[in-house]
Amino acid sequence: MIVNPSIISLLLGSLFICSMLLYSAYYGIHILKRWDIRSGSELQLILERKTYLISTIMNYAFGFQLASLFLFIFTADHLHNLFIGAMCAAGTLNVNVYGYPAIIMKTVNCLLAGTWLIMNYTDNRAFDYPLIKKKYFLLLVITPLLGAELFLQSAYFSGLRAHVITSCCGSLFSIGEESITSDIASLSGLFTKVAFYLSMVLTFVSGMYFYKKRNTAGYAFAFMSTVTFVVSTSSLISFISPYFYELPTHHCPFCILQREYGYAGYALYITLLGGAISGLGVGAIMPFRDIQSLSKTVPGIQRKLTVTALISYFLFTGIVTYQIVFSNLTMKGY
Amino acid sequence: MIELINIKKIFNMGRPNEFVAVDGVSLLIESHKITVFKGPSGSGKTTLLSLIGCMARPTSGRIMVSGNEITSLPERFLTEIRRKIFGFVFQQFHLIKGITVLENVMLPAYPLGEKYSALRKRAVSLLDLFNLSHKVSSKVEWLSGGETQRVSIARALVNDPSVVIADEPTAYLDTKLSREFLEIAERMKKEGKTILIASHDPLVYESDIVDRVVEMRDGKIISREKS
Repeated sequence: MIVNPSIISLLLGSLFICSMLLYSAYYGIHILKRWDIRSGSELQLILERKTYLISTIMNYAFGFQLASLFLFIFTADHLHNLFIGAMCAAGTLNVNVYGYPAIIMKTVNCLLAGTWLIMNYTDNRAFDYPLIKKKYFLLLVITPLLGAELFLQSAYFSGLRAHVITSCCGSLFSIGEESITSDIASLSGLFTKVAFYLSMVLTFVSGMYFYKKRNTAGYAFAFMSTVTFVVSTSSLISFISPYFYELPTHHCPFCILQREYGYAGYALYITLLGGAISGLGVGAIMPFRDIQSLSKTVPGIQRKLTVTALISYFLFTGIVTYQIVFSNLTMKGY
Repeated sequence: MIELINIKKIFNMGRPNEFVAVDGVSLLIESHKITVFKGPSGSGKTTLLSLIGCMARPTSGRIMVSGNEITSLPERFLTEIRRKIFGFVFQQFHLIKGITVLENVMLPAYPLGEKYSALRKRAVSLLDLFNLSHKVSSKVEWLSGGETQRVSIARALVNDPSVVIADEPTAYLDTKLSREFLEIAERMKKEGKTILIASHDPLVYESDIVDRVVEMRDGKIISREKS
């Protein structure tokens, strides 16, 4: 294992989140089994008090979880000069078999953590805990996934050895290899461009429509936000990154995190994740609009989330479009 | 109407110094009446009033205020209720030294964000009601015992609460000032407020203005007299 402040922070952070989550999951099981708001029993009142504590703990823990994704990416990028052949985070993550599963698991957990925070925020706006069982059920779903993340991250970092020879983005994200990333990089630029802008347009149309009408279009907006997240991630590999590198054969989604590209990757990933989490959040709380104690607050929360998602995706599209227009690279036929 | 359902409050639960302050109290308190809780020190009067006033949570049991259950409410809703439904007159009055009488009275209304001029006008008229208009700009440490008590009552009323809770309000007052307090309490009752008083002062619980006396001992209700 390489001893590095970022690695220590990530491992301790994950360990802390997992232990907090286990504590919360323990009470989550009690809440799922024993919660009865009509009862004035000692246990019920203890559970009510515990929910405030757990809510506060998880707000901070999941807040760190969201930030830790970027710290993980930064660390992977920062360490690349320790490994032979690595030129960016792509190479560092490829040093052992746990690197890519770890980053995928972290991304999934970030989306789930963001959704849980939105549900928790919504539940705390009501006086009668209407989402209590639902949010603890989600917490119990997240618990093993965060455990898996801790395992993958620990296995990855503990397996890092300096001077290991590794493959980097040149082979991982190049056309002609037998891998998913290579398949994505091989996608037709024109096709992914059309898919990217079409999904953005549909997301904006559904978002604006939902914002104005406040009806069940929220489901469509949440769906489109998710689709846009997937399409945009693929587009980053397929056609966006070459415009940053001004090199049609370079499809790496990690080199854009580096200084020579103005750290543009961080702006892209933050806006993309912000759009996805906010959009997903709209759909996550959609079924609860009819609950009496939430009927006045949910529409307001959804409007804020919709605006956040639209601004995030607008910024993402703006950065991408700016780069396409002003890049020295011109891809004819794309 | 305030309803207490099997209220229990235990301090230091599970420790050697565990203390049961309120032990399974069930009670219906009528609106627009004066109810006095009497009993010796340590009988649970103050704890019970602090539970009703949402300043503490029971260990078990439920409290309903105007049909709404309040013990399960998250803290931010309790803050709202404390500000709007309850007004408190504390045994030692707890006025804030270093600021004026007017500022002390206005203080509980600041978080509600009301226009300053309207709030000031209301506070001044409240102080006028208690014959304290000449003390508006005085620091609270310059007041006499009776004036201090009347300022604390004015402060309790500034948000126009429907329930006024007074904990041993006459403990530090002489007979004349205690009678003055009872006159004020009668006036508040006529205005439609529900008044809850914890007191072991016979002058209070034997007064004609009191509608009901609830006697407590060892955290339990031992009698519920109605006058």
